[in-house]
Amino acid sequence: MMMLDNIRVLDFTQYLAGPTVTRLMAEMGAEIIKIEQGPGGDPCRQLPVSRDGRSGYFVQQNRGKKSLCLNLDKPEAPAIIKELVANVDIVVENFGPGVMQKRGLEYAALAEINPGIIMASVSAFGRNSPLAHKVGYDYIAQAFAGFMHMTGPRDGAPHPVGVGFADGSAGVHAFAGLGYALFHRKRTGHGQYLDISMVDCLFHMHDVNVQGPSITDGKFVPHRMGPHHELIFPAGIFKGPTGYIVVMALQLQWKNLCLALGRPELEHDPRYLDGLSRGQRRDELIPLVEDWMAGFNSNEEVIARLDECRVPCGPVLSPIDALAHPYFIERGTVRTVHDPILGELKLPGFPLRFSAQPEVPELFAPLLGEHNGEVLGQVLGYADERIASLAASGVLIQGVR
Amino acid sequence: MSASLNPRLLDGIRVLDFSQYVAGAGASRMMAELGAEIIKVEQTPVGDPSRLVPFIKDGRSGFFIQQNRGKQSLGIDLKQPRAKTIIHELVKHCDLVLENFGPGVMEKHGFDYPTLARLNPKLIMVSVSAFGRDSPLSHKTGYDLIAQGFSGYMHMTGPRDGAPHPVGLSFADANAAVHAFAAIGYALYHRECTGAGQYLDLSMIDCMFHLHEISLQAHSVSGGTYVPHRMGSHHELVCPGGAYKGPTGYMVIMALQPQWERVCRALQKPEWLDDPRFATNEARARNQQVLIPLIEAWLATFSRNEEALAVLEEHRVPCAPVLSPVDAVGHDYFVQRGTIRTTHDPVIGDVRVPGFPFKFSAQPDLPDFEAPLFGEHNTAILRRVLGYTDEKIKELAATGVLVSKDR
Repeated sequence: MMMLDNIRVLDFTQYLAGPTVTRLMAEMGAEIIKIEQGPGGDPCRQLPVSRDGRSGYFVQQNRGKKSLCLNLDKPEAPAIIKELVANVDIVVENFGPGVMQKRGLEYAALAEINPGIIMASVSAFGRNSPLAHKVGYDYIAQAFAGFMHMTGPRDGAPHPVGVGFADGSAGVHAFAGLGYALFHRKRTGHGQYLDISMVDCLFHMHDVNVQGPSITDGKFVPHRMGPHHELIFPAGIFKGPTGYIVVMALQLQWKNLCLALGRPELEHDPRYLDGLSRGQRRDELIPLVEDWMAGFNSNEEVIARLDECRVPCGPVLSPIDALAHPYFIERGTVRTVHDPILGELKLPGFPLRFSAQPEVPELFAPLLGEHNGEVLGQVLGYADERIASLAASGVLIQGVR
Repeated sequence: MSASLNPRLLDGIRVLDFSQYVAGAGASRMMAELGAEIIKVEQTPVGDPSRLVPFIKDGRSGFFIQQNRGKQSLGIDLKQPRAKTIIHELVKHCDLVLENFGPGVMEKHGFDYPTLARLNPKLIMVSVSAFGRDSPLSHKTGYDLIAQGFSGYMHMTGPRDGAPHPVGLSFADANAAVHAFAAIGYALYHRECTGAGQYLDLSMIDCMFHLHEISLQAHSVSGGTYVPHRMGSHHELVCPGGAYKGPTGYMVIMALQPQWERVCRALQKPEWLDDPRFATNEARARNQQVLIPLIEAWLATFSRNEEALAVLEEHRVPCAPVLSPVDAVGHDYFVQRGTIRTTHDPVIGDVRVPGFPFKFSAQPDLPDFEAPLFGEHNTAILRRVLGYTDEKIKELAATGVLVSKDR
């Protein structure tokens, strides 16, 4: 029993933000029909790193999806898509501006075919916005939403998060929205349209930088702070003997840190009484902590001592460090999956732990057009001859990768 | 609090919300926007500790206001035995219990899932924690920065040859909240289909880690020759693809191969099209130490960033200003889309907060909400949900089981 048994999704997504949505739904048992446009299909099939013509990037985002590859310039293709629309619960897309309209696949048209349909669009600047015409990618959304401004060295250039977080997060938001839309449809029978923008999804994550300037009448000016927070201490990244360590302690944990450092007298030192005064004197406190850390042989020893004294801390791990780490392995946060061409590869695991669905299925990323016949046969009831003739006339396209 | 005339997606859903700070409280914040009734359980003496997070004006924290609009506060002393009884009675009348306490706290109070599920078998319960409730590190306390470090994000962020850097907002907390919110929607849907409740164990680390789109697979597929590391302010595989210094600040320019020709046209450098150093994305990425200064030299010919951005946009080159969160105030995009909003607080008046990120066509209007005072809704909740008499409620207040304040 899977959470999304019997839910069928028509998936026009490509690259990252859109495919994240259906990747998560596939793990929960939804049937995902990925519409790929001939000749090449989802452009991320070409993204490096590849081996034997197979992109690891594509594999990660598309496991468990069925590929239906169509030549959209053929007159039969739009008719097939519209027939499919009548037989699915959800449509997801993340095309550039105007593409769905140009094809007659905007929500109003789809809802005429299937009034209960739920549709989600994922874009950088929203479909209904003053900037809807603009093309945008991950970095562009990170810049526009104030993430870049807030990240990097204090006196240096703004920095992006080095993960496709704007894309990924927009995908997670669309996934979230679809869950509530399914719940709403279950209760009322009504479908709906969901317009997700990458910028909105990032912007609401500002916890201090919007209300702070507002309630201080502009006295608080948010800006990037480098590796250490300036309003509280400790809250930042320290150089340990074998790499970096994060230490973040609230007021009640300050005495624990003093104890760990072997400097219990600092707890009541008038210069360091609260987070703010410590933050102002962080230039004297950071070396004090780092000098103490330098007395250990390894980061692990430092962390063990901090753990013992109940100081919240953790290592700065590389994603590769996760591969052999007991947390990631026992929790399934790193998984080994199989690909028909690449063989075994390591991927991040499914992030949600539903007790109602303790197992995640074994899923494979499709070859281009691998499920042409299956989708048209099983979903639309096309006869084998008809499918063969669509393939022969180039409406259906198949690739070996 | 003004009621909306239109139905909302979560009408009739009641949440018993033990969450605090952002990772938990962010999830119920979004549910409140969709019309769920949120009963925020706040413990004596101060309630949600985020009530004390700076900045504070007239005793009200903007941080608290942003995360708790539309919630009802039940101020209670959980150390008293009768408090536990009240909570257990409320559980029977709720659809969801949400918590993000430190390790072991819910068990200590007798609020663990098996106990609560016996009281209400259809209950959905969600725990949000840094390292998960069922994991080798579940005993560890963790905050946003610790999750940013542990999940590989800090390692990937910052100057190429410098220290790892955090993202300057609590996005690991917020990201966990979004995942909890997502999971709850599907759990509600599942319960609507099957009648069954369930327990969800969310970790901030897991919610961050699955968004690594390149690191693991590229390392795997390349046989270990690709080693993920931070790249500075420019992507190492895409050029232009990063933060450029303009005359009045930074902007991002990002062009994939099909857009390179447009870049050359916008910059009036047709000769670049035939330049072998720049012919392919791969070549441009390899020669970015040459190309980036050339583009910045072009930007320097303008007097303001807006002028350069206008030329780039005219040629349909993907670009955007690097905005400060403060730049969003009054900006067309943020205002028209409701991405920034002004909310009202009963104590300190108007406060600007980020808007709700979801645009559901079935619920076009968002309710107008205020954040609660500590214990503001003690009487209303116990009367409405449990049918307590006013005398009983008064007595509970007099004996300190219920607590309230004017902030």
